[in-house]
Amino acid sequence: MDVIHAYLNLVPVTLSQSLIYSFLVLGIMIPFRLLSFPDLTSEGAFPLGGCVCAALLMAGYPPLLATLIAMLAGVGAGAATALVHLRFRINSLLAGILVFTALYSVNMRILGRSNVALFGADNIFMQINPAILTDMRLQVITFAVLIVATLVALRWYLSTQSGAAMRVIGINPDLAPSLGISIWTCTIVGLGIASGLTALGGALIVQLQGYADVGMGTGILINGLASLVIGETITGRQTVTRQLLAPVVGAAVYYQLVSLALSLGLQPSDLKVVTAAFVLVTLGLPMLRGRSPLRETMRA
Amino acid sequence: MAPQVAAVGMPLLVCAGLRKTFNAGLAGARPALDGVDLALNRGDFVVIIGSNGAGKSTLLNTIAGAIEPDGGSITLDGRDITRLAAHRRAGMISRVFQDPMIGTAAAMTIEENLALAEQRGQRRGFASHLDGASRDRYRALLAGLSLGMEGRLSTPVAQLSGGQRQALSLIMASLSRPSLLLLDEHTAALDPRTADLVMDMTLRIVAEQSLTTLMVTHNMRQAIETGNRLVMMDAGRVRDDIGGTEKAALTPADLVEKFRIDNDRMLLGT
Repeated sequence: MDVIHAYLNLVPVTLSQSLIYSFLVLGIMIPFRLLSFPDLTSEGAFPLGGCVCAALLMAGYPPLLATLIAMLAGVGAGAATALVHLRFRINSLLAGILVFTALYSVNMRILGRSNVALFGADNIFMQINPAILTDMRLQVITFAVLIVATLVALRWYLSTQSGAAMRVIGINPDLAPSLGISIWTCTIVGLGIASGLTALGGALIVQLQGYADVGMGTGILINGLASLVIGETITGRQTVTRQLLAPVVGAAVYYQLVSLALSLGLQPSDLKVVTAAFVLVTLGLPMLRGRSPLRETMRA
Repeated sequence: MAPQVAAVGMPLLVCAGLRKTFNAGLAGARPALDGVDLALNRGDFVVIIGSNGAGKSTLLNTIAGAIEPDGGSITLDGRDITRLAAHRRAGMISRVFQDPMIGTAAAMTIEENLALAEQRGQRRGFASHLDGASRDRYRALLAGLSLGMEGRLSTPVAQLSGGQRQALSLIMASLSRPSLLLLDEHTAALDPRTADLVMDMTLRIVAEQSLTTLMVTHNMRQAIETGNRLVMMDAGRVRDDIGGTEKAALTPADLVEKFRIDNDRMLLGT
């Protein structure tokens, strides 16, 4: 009973955390699903957002500005991966690895050391309403509003002429040029938006937890993919709206499962192998039956 | 769009000395295009035939901008487009591919595909991709073609048959009134009955819009019955160009005789 009790106590904290991680999972979903571009940049863009935001807050920048700059840094990281892939025709997976490897050094430079605690620094939540950091219900509502606003904006963009063109390059890249759609523009914009959202997630989590760590991105991609796959199992992928909801629903379920597993006594350091095994089983089982949700997007 | 500098009598499309060799430098690399000269006048419907490897598809791909030539030039409407990116030519040149899967976006609906085609060559901004007015327009357009698609505007294209998808590709290619329509063996992957339907539709659309058309085919009957000019390609060159009354009087026997065609696929196509 103690285990259940310990888990139930954590439900609101985990829910609030998962809403912030939804930005990361959205940032993974966009390249993988909408652009058919297996993009690994998030592994570097997430800590980049966190480190840029932390460094700016320590330097006394206003939190909103620090958060926006962190997001723009993420946009740059996504655009860099796109350009490496487009300009040098480097495989998309390798392009992502190149960028997130380079970003590790960049993040270290930005932060100055491997981790920083934001004692005494202002943050965006304290500015909106200091109670957000203590009142769990208010925190969940605030984060829910943020993520819903993001989903509405993305849903709107994907219904515009520009957004529809972007979807085409993921569905049928051979057709795109003959419709007058530039693969370059769409890939750069798409990966930019994706890594911008990922970096925003990093910046928000740093402000929520009060510290930044250059290693905060390690393994984040697999967590995100696991969340995405869970979410898609629940919401389906038939429409753009369902595809957009999948990251949020998936993150909510995934992080509750993680919390439950930890309550049951799983060592945090064992979590990655469990998650990797989970992703393997989820992706592998359908493939054994001849169809995989990720297969079509993984032929980079 | 290019300024209308072209005089009435000037050709719409001029390919001059187009050359392209794939894997140049490798042993045994032969030119796919070995100095192609071809001019299309406004309203021409030119059919290109030739054996496998004659360079027909390479020529079409080069005109569309999917392949950059090693040498030579392409001029459309008086404007040099030789180095213009494919997506920038799309407002002037549209094409239907051989593979029905390439010509449409499968995961999108019929109306979304039509909207994408209608915006070809225009700046894509933040206006809504689809609205009530465009839906009505597409419904009316499809109703006029009696393909049974007008009631299925919100059906994903993946659920259509190959023939329906190819018909949709053709409508999409002609929707934005291109200067030049490229057809790359666009009925070759269809069953004979569907191929005839799509070909009839092609002729109707080309005639209605007076489209200048360049069609590649392997089918000799199609080559003889269609178009006002027949161009024969061989080993990366234009070997013959038959127009006017000579084209009108052409029979399959003439064609075999004329070109001593020994290609199996072409004979099977008669």
